[in-house]
Amino acid sequence: MTRSLALFRFSFAELLGGRFRRLLVVLLLVVVSLLLPALLNSASDPSDFMLGLFSNVVLPIALPVVSLVFSTAALGGELRDGTITNLVLKPLSRASILAVEYLSALVATLAVLLPALVAAQLLAAHGLGLAALLKGMLLATVLAAAAYCALGMALSLWASRALLIGLVYAVVWEGAVVGAAPAASSLSVRGYAEGVLDAILRGSGGPTLDARLGPVSATLLALIVTVGALALAVRRLARMDFR
Amino acid sequence: MTAAGTAPASPAAPGAAATSGPAPVAELRHVSKWYGDVVAVADLSFALWPGVTGLLGPNGAGKTTSLKALCGLLRPSQGEVRVFGRTLAGDSALYRSIGVVPDGDRLYPRLTVGSYVRLHADLQGLERPGAAAERAIGEVGMEALAERRLKGLSKGERQRTKVAGAIVHQPSLLVLDEPMTGMDPGQRAHFMDLVRVLGAAGVTVLVSSHILAEVERLASQVLVLVGGRLAAEGDYHAIRDLMEDQPRTVMVRADEPRRLAPGLIALPTTVAVEVDGEALQARTRSVAAFATALPRLAHDQDVSLREVRTTDESLEQVFRYLVRRR
Repeated sequence: MTRSLALFRFSFAELLGGRFRRLLVVLLLVVVSLLLPALLNSASDPSDFMLGLFSNVVLPIALPVVSLVFSTAALGGELRDGTITNLVLKPLSRASILAVEYLSALVATLAVLLPALVAAQLLAAHGLGLAALLKGMLLATVLAAAAYCALGMALSLWASRALLIGLVYAVVWEGAVVGAAPAASSLSVRGYAEGVLDAILRGSGGPTLDARLGPVSATLLALIVTVGALALAVRRLARMDFR
Repeated sequence: MTAAGTAPASPAAPGAAATSGPAPVAELRHVSKWYGDVVAVADLSFALWPGVTGLLGPNGAGKTTSLKALCGLLRPSQGEVRVFGRTLAGDSALYRSIGVVPDGDRLYPRLTVGSYVRLHADLQGLERPGAAAERAIGEVGMEALAERRLKGLSKGERQRTKVAGAIVHQPSLLVLDEPMTGMDPGQRAHFMDLVRVLGAAGVTVLVSSHILAEVERLASQVLVLVGGRLAAEGDYHAIRDLMEDQPRTVMVRADEPRRLAPGLIALPTTVAVEVDGEALQARTRSVAAFATALPRLAHDQDVSLREVRTTDESLEQVFRYLVRRR
């Protein structure tokens, strides 16, 4: 436990302040893209505005970009630089290493997105606003970030261009393909997030989404994708040679 | 299984009989590793006991592959690796007793020397990681640079930092891949002293190098790798003597080789000559003397030479490596 905690602290610090410092510019832009429109909004209803911002900016862009940047950098960066030998030559199982790196990527993702979402809501609504909307956005973000980070982690163990592949999935599959064929949303992380958010919004008296998936199937599918991707990643790391 | 720690010098024989006595600290049993069609090491067997053992061989001999297989960074394509009597795969607890300095840089440039070594101490789960890191940094003589970032250090200083990270938990097996790369003479002398002290204290140290003088000063016991195979093992000086005395076979093809035989057998370094049709096979203790005498003899006897080659290729390479490059 002490060793895992030490690895978590180190990995988290590396993600936010270490070798990927230049990526923070990208993350800063993501945060600004949430906060600036919220600050400037004065015309539309705050709840409508925030749901639009979440559906059109956070879900299709900010969430996959931030999650994939962190998750593909966590172990992928160690593999690329060869520094992973510092970790695998320690009394830590490779499954533990992967789990800790995954958690650090997920926490880093949420540390960027959740405060930005809360701040945007506060700015747009000049207060807390619709509580169900905020709760839905936060839960959907956590669920989707967990799935994206697991996918990013697995991709980084198979491909050197994991970030690019992940972004192509998010843009081409989740954007174009699911947009043209909504039934494909059962294979879309964005679809899972929308399913959870929609379920929380219904009955709140506020705006709603038209999600294809119900809350149970959305949550289950998200869990299956997350656990499946992590299981594949553990298997890959356990059998990996470090040349 | 052959032994590197205590056995007398001998050219390595694959699958040689096991030595009796205490179990080795680490051993490779008939390990092969290949990448597609490229064989990096083939049927490699050796064992390590406490003390310093040098892993010697020219570049590309398979030293790094062997070390990585030994410490679990590579999975053998064939064969088995045992450390402290157990297999490393899936048994990460063994790394509490293993320290490794791998090849390449493999450092985090933004960390300081102190934080890098402390990270190793933390990941080992030591009770007093700060004190352990300080001690290890002192052992490699890096106290004055403890607060310096790794990206600003020389190659030799980074190597010493890696060594500090590898010894911070006082391992009983230490694997060092070309650890003196980039060190200046003073740093090398300090490092050699450290390795000798560790070896004398009962730590099993395996240190690889392609520089003969380094290994000669560090380790009395050596493993010699050539072309991915264990070519010799045992006492360094004994191996050299053995190689100098070891007859090697030269194959000569000529139109009338029988006329060369008397002159060749008269050479003081020739052990035996056999003629079979147009082929002559000679055993000699000096390929150089043989190669000097043969053209003269062929000219005197009016014999046309068609092919001259040594057949003990790996032995010849070892000989050249151990003797002629000195």
